Amino acid sequence: MSNPDWLEHAARRGQSETWTLAFVFEQYRQLEGLSPDDLARELNCSRDTLLWMSLCRKPEGDTRREQVTAIAERHGVTPLSLARILRHVEIMATLAMSTRDEQTGTSRIQLAARDRIDRGDDDEPTP
Amino acid sequence: MSFPSQPEEQALHERVLARDSLAWEDVFKVFMDPIIAGLSKRPGQSQEDARDATIDVIYEYLNDPERYVPDKARLHIYLAQAARKRTVDRYRSNAARHRREQEYGGVFELRAMPPKDSLEITVEARRMADRLAQQPLTETDHHVIKLVMEGERSTHVLAEAMGLPESEETVRRREVKRNRDRLMKVLGRLRKEDSDV
Repeated sequence: MSNPDWLEHAARRGQSETWTLAFVFEQYRQLEGLSPDDLARELNCSRDTLLWMSLCRKPEGDTRREQVTAIAERHGVTPLSLARILRHVEIMATLAMSTRDEQTGTSRIQLAARDRIDRGDDDEPTP
Repeated sequence: MSFPSQPEEQALHERVLARDSLAWEDVFKVFMDPIIAGLSKRPGQSQEDARDATIDVIYEYLNDPERYVPDKARLHIYLAQAARKRTVDRYRSNAARHRREQEYGGVFELRAMPPKDSLEITVEARRMADRLAQQPLTETDHHVIKLVMEGERSTHVLAEAMGLPESEETVRRREVKRNRDRLMKVLGRLRKEDSDV
């Protein structure tokens, strides 16, 4: 059976809803510089499966693990790969928030980097 | 193409209230086609507008399912009526655009995360921030990483943050991508080291 023509639109619209897997997948793609095909390959599924999965709610709460498993089972992906992506995006989002310094507008990593430069142990940037 | 029975609709609504991840996908599967078909029958109504309106109201319902009161109307009637109103809402596109433009870092809410998960994530993020600070990166690099993590995608903004000189758009874009990829590789390596620990 072919996919409905609204599927891609619904998945794309879901990228602006923070509680969707569409949002999580989009953030992960942006962070890792992946194309949709790359992401589908990482999850070992088709692009269509990725779109259907994008419509699901982001697993959370006490039943988080069960929900990850249920989504993975329905869509034929491994729970571990899905859980890994979820965790990575959550860590990065937390990291982004923790780097904000509301009072000075300077991030924690920036301050740490400055300390390091002041100490004179900043030679060459990573190639 | 028909709507489910009242008990089936109620059961689906209860799954949505219980934050069942798969229920969201099921709501789309069950309601999209029949609502779009109904809206498209109206004179002057385009299929695309009907589709966009239906997608919008389904997301609104899923974001705040408590607003739907089962005693007042069946779920498919509630959604179809909202979609019909939406098709005549001329401000819809502006609101949708505004939502899309919201800053990633600012809107990523963690409030519903269980304390244990939240703590673990915070600890890992802090550990990663510390490791990132120890990397031989310039202050500019750290600033660019921060922007990327906050969801900044504009070539212009990133180029300025990277201190790139004015140049042809394609050259600038390539340089931004090259720099961004380099920094993302550093993050990827840190993440891998972290998961190996």
